[in-house]
Amino acid sequence: MKFPFFRSPDGREGGGPVDPTETPRMGGQVLPGVSVPPAAHDTRDETVMMAEPEAAAAAGVASRVPSVTSAAGPAGPTKIAVRDVSVFYGDKQALFDVSLDIPDNTVTAFIGPSGCGKSTFLRCMNRMNDTIQGARVTGSILMDGDDINARSVDPVLLRAQVGMVFQKPNPFPKTIYENVAYGPRIHGLTTSKSEMDGVVESALKKAGLWDEVADRLHSAGTSLSGGQQQRLVIARAIAVNPEVILMDEPCSALDPIATARIEELIDDLRERYCIVIVTHSMAQAARVSQRTAFFHMGRLVEHGNTEEIFTNPRERRTLDYITGRFG
Amino acid sequence: MIWFLFPLVAVFAVLAYVVGRGLAQRRAAAASEGPTAHSRPEQHGYYALIWVAVPALAIALLAGVFSAPLAHNLLAAGAPEAVMELEPIRREAFFNDARLVGDGQRAFQTWPGALGQALATESERSARISQTLTWGGVAAAVLAAMMGGLFAWTQIRPALRARNRVEGWIGGLLFACSAVAILTTVGIVFSLLWDSLRFFQAVPVSDFLFGLQWSPQTAIRADQVGSSGAFGAVPLFAGTFLIMAIAMIVAAPVGLFSAIYLAEYASPLSRGIVKPVLEILAGVPTVVYGFFAALTVGPAFREFFNGIGALLVGGPMDGLGQYLLLVQNQMALVAGAVMGIMLIPFVSSLSDDIINAVPQSLRDGSYAMGATKSETVKRVLLPAALPGIAGALLLAMSRAIGETMIVAMAAGLAANLTLNPLDTVTTVTVQIVTLLTGDQEFNSPKTLAAFGLGLTLFLVTLMLNIVAQRIVQTYREQYD
Amino acid sequence: MTEASEPIAEAARDGRLKAGLKARYAREGRFRLYGILAVSVAIGFLLLLLGRIVEQGHTAFYANQVTLPVYMDPVRIDRAYPQGTNFQQMVAQQQLARMGIADDPQGSQATAYRSLLSSELKFRAADMIRNDPSLIGRTVEITAPVSDEADLYYKGEVTRETAADQRRVSDLQMAWLDTLKAEGAVSTTFNTLLFTNGDSTEPELAGVLGAVVGSALMLLVTAVIAIPLGVGAAVYLEEFSRKGRITDLIEVNINNLAAVPSIVYGLLGVALFINWAHLPRSSPLVGGLVLALMALPTIIIATRSALKAVPPSIREAALAMGASRTQTVFHHVLPLAMPGVMTGTIISMAHALGETAPLLLIGMVSFVPGIPGAITEPAGALPSLVYIWENASERAFHERTAAAILVLLTFMVVMNAAAILLRRRFERRW
Repeated sequence: MKFPFFRSPDGREGGGPVDPTETPRMGGQVLPGVSVPPAAHDTRDETVMMAEPEAAAAAGVASRVPSVTSAAGPAGPTKIAVRDVSVFYGDKQALFDVSLDIPDNTVTAFIGPSGCGKSTFLRCMNRMNDTIQGARVTGSILMDGDDINARSVDPVLLRAQVGMVFQKPNPFPKTIYENVAYGPRIHGLTTSKSEMDGVVESALKKAGLWDEVADRLHSAGTSLSGGQQQRLVIARAIAVNPEVILMDEPCSALDPIATARIEELIDDLRERYCIVIVTHSMAQAARVSQRTAFFHMGRLVEHGNTEEIFTNPRERRTLDYITGRFG
Repeated sequence: MIWFLFPLVAVFAVLAYVVGRGLAQRRAAAASEGPTAHSRPEQHGYYALIWVAVPALAIALLAGVFSAPLAHNLLAAGAPEAVMELEPIRREAFFNDARLVGDGQRAFQTWPGALGQALATESERSARISQTLTWGGVAAAVLAAMMGGLFAWTQIRPALRARNRVEGWIGGLLFACSAVAILTTVGIVFSLLWDSLRFFQAVPVSDFLFGLQWSPQTAIRADQVGSSGAFGAVPLFAGTFLIMAIAMIVAAPVGLFSAIYLAEYASPLSRGIVKPVLEILAGVPTVVYGFFAALTVGPAFREFFNGIGALLVGGPMDGLGQYLLLVQNQMALVAGAVMGIMLIPFVSSLSDDIINAVPQSLRDGSYAMGATKSETVKRVLLPAALPGIAGALLLAMSRAIGETMIVAMAAGLAANLTLNPLDTVTTVTVQIVTLLTGDQEFNSPKTLAAFGLGLTLFLVTLMLNIVAQRIVQTYREQYD
Repeated sequence: MTEASEPIAEAARDGRLKAGLKARYAREGRFRLYGILAVSVAIGFLLLLLGRIVEQGHTAFYANQVTLPVYMDPVRIDRAYPQGTNFQQMVAQQQLARMGIADDPQGSQATAYRSLLSSELKFRAADMIRNDPSLIGRTVEITAPVSDEADLYYKGEVTRETAADQRRVSDLQMAWLDTLKAEGAVSTTFNTLLFTNGDSTEPELAGVLGAVVGSALMLLVTAVIAIPLGVGAAVYLEEFSRKGRITDLIEVNINNLAAVPSIVYGLLGVALFINWAHLPRSSPLVGGLVLALMALPTIIIATRSALKAVPPSIREAALAMGASRTQTVFHHVLPLAMPGVMTGTIISMAHALGETAPLLLIGMVSFVPGIPGAITEPAGALPSLVYIWENASERAFHERTAAAILVLLTFMVVMNAAAILLRRRFERRW
């Protein structure tokens, strides 16, 4: 999969010499793969503001919206079925009646402005909200048909099946080997050292880190670079062979090269795991996900295939967000 | 004596303030065509106040500090022969009594015959010397105040940046306050070194540090130094170490687990109750712990061991039984256990801070992997917090080594070189107290030995503290 | 990337997951239990400590007194010098006569009876005569405390079963005491002497007032010296100093001084204040100076955190108005930091109140009767009083030591509570 990230303006299809100042921007980024006839750009500014969503679709949307470049693969069956989930922190309600289906072997992206509840919702799916005092979750979240909030479900077991990657890489202050071996060790998944060696090697390979660290497995995990640490954390999550991997803005603390590698990794991983990723960057969502859900002020505004969300959103608010009217 | 000087200076100072302020106002009004005054009249007033009060106070301070030694030396210089022939200890006592009688109080002891008459004359001399010094000091202070006032008078005018000057003085004063901290350290080091060096002239350092016998007999005569006493401090070091080890065995697990419980498991309600209770435990004076050790724990432990001994006597462990029947109230175990109780809140609160400094992201990472709370604590938090906890334990050890009252009241005086917790031992701190609260002959090696011990104690605890703080600081920086 | 085969088969994995779960939760439960155990041990020790002290000390708060009819024998009392009379002997003989007991030529029975009465009796009798000489020749009722041994007997501390070498009251004396009680001559009242008297060699007359006044004077000296110095130093370090080697040195120094054992400060006090400056031994002045040096680092550290807690925006606003740095600090920052400063100060004063080791070294081990009148007079202090009484041989001092500890703890609790209340009342959340 090619990342048209640093494609220079010259590499665009069509058009002659392009004035760089007219390259459409979204939050400062240079959007790859957007071809805009220079002349048409100015006259469309005013029209975009007032046009109906459909009318704007052909014109303004193309100039400001990330183009969906993720490979659309066959989506698996519904892995997680969410019905009417609300989250309360004390008296404050953070999520209002969210209902959503998350398919397996797919990357589902949650987008939305800061504080809209996407991280809160992500944390519902491995019951990490249980660790917060005063947090309350209502509604049902069915994973493979079983309600994960039921009393009979042990969060410890659940979290062995649902892995999580956080925004800032948080490897334990242990060796690389011990970091990856942590999960299998506490859950008692291996019975011999050679078995553990195999697990560690497999996880690191799947996370794309093996080649870089194979010779220094017993050096400190914190001695790696930011991007490598995040891949280590992903390896750690994979080592227990989960079914779902939740990622909370995994690339926001990383540089662009590392981000690219992680996104490549995510695309590889979706072949065997169900991946849910929260991201601040719409371009990333466009690059990486097949399904997108847009949250705003604690409510799920719209969800669907990524391509549709970005080219033909049904809701006004969705359009406003993806065209950058609010951030 | 010179105490009325301070109210006098205060009166002068207030006077200076009022006059200075008025003067500034008048001069500013008079110079109506010149530049307007830089500072307000009050600030000129303060300027004047400073220039009057500071010289006077400086003189008063010098007088206060040096008048007593000076009077002493003057008295000694002119003393009659009969007095000079006395041994140093009795001579000092004589001068002390002369001073007391001159001040109008009664002498501590009666002096026979010729010395008694000498006392009368010497006390009159002492009174005269002290009066001269006092009035001389007062006169000097008043003179200094006046000169300062004169200087301020010439300086006050609109162009004077009085506020800046005053603030400069204030800054200087504040700096002096913080310099007291350094002066204290210097004072401690100096005073310990001075008397320790005199001690080490009498008793060689190697004997002190490596000698195995501690029986500090006092010399019969001042020049018989070191010949009739053994000053080997190793039994003291051993006793200190033994009691510290027992204390740490009690305090470290209890304190650490309390901290873990409070940091990770306790609900806000229980945390709100337990933390104040631990702070109360920390605030109890050590003399209370000493009383508790001497009157409750000591007898209780003794009865316990005696009881076990009684059970064992006549059986296969008869020797052990006989031994246990003879244990005393003042076992090292008693002092160590109570010291451990005292240290529990100390260890607990330090460890609590350390554990709370571990970033939440590590906890989240571990919980998200499906670890239970105990697994998170054992496998992630404690290893991460290890340097900090090591530092906390070092600080607790330093505290245990320097502790006096518990051991003074619960441990014994017999210097015993042993590691058996059921034996009676003594520590460095107890010996310091014993040496200095016995008979007070100040130049004998016996009392000087206290300073040698004090120096050793100071250096050891200083080292432990510096290492501990270094470790904790490095640990904190890692996570900030 | 797809060559690596699945290391753990799905079914085996689930089995292993579930199998280990029970043991893991068992470990979790045990770990939590250790935590609760540790906290309970700590709290338990506190309760044990306080409980024992209250148990041992509460009996000291009441004392037994005896009211005896005393015939002021004009033969034995000198009108001009009543205090020369041996009232104890006189009363003892009169009592024996009343009970019909004959005495031997050495008067050993009278001596035995005498030791049941406190020497306070003779002071009270002499005072009565002095105030009203017409009492001579009459029979007067005098109330005075019983001696400490009798007091212990009445409180049940000492009984006939107590071993002979553990008590100083013989069985015969106990019989006499029982007689007195049966006659209704003995009353139990609140032990005011404990609070109105200074130290005494007689336990029944010993009180804590001297030590309380001594401690108060000492704390006064400490406060007057340490608070201005400490706050001044903290203000300098926090607001005025430039980052440099000297400032770093001062900070390191202060941190180390806070951890120096208190007995080293005692040695400093002996060497500097007593040997070199010849200040009076065992006086509140010297004690206050030593404690001030000890309290200084704590006050500096507490004041610095209070100053740090004031947000920089306050300082910036003041500077922007044209105030100089000194004016900013003294008119704006320091008043806002005051609650924190006062809290830290009170807590360090409470801590200084309980320090004993340095006081022992500067001479407060000696017996100091009476109440000190000035900071240069010899005095005792509460903690050193506790130490002295604990070492005393009379058994009656045990309960009084515990009572003195209760007085000390009360003062400390009051001071700490005041500090906490102050903090709650004036704390500002920025």
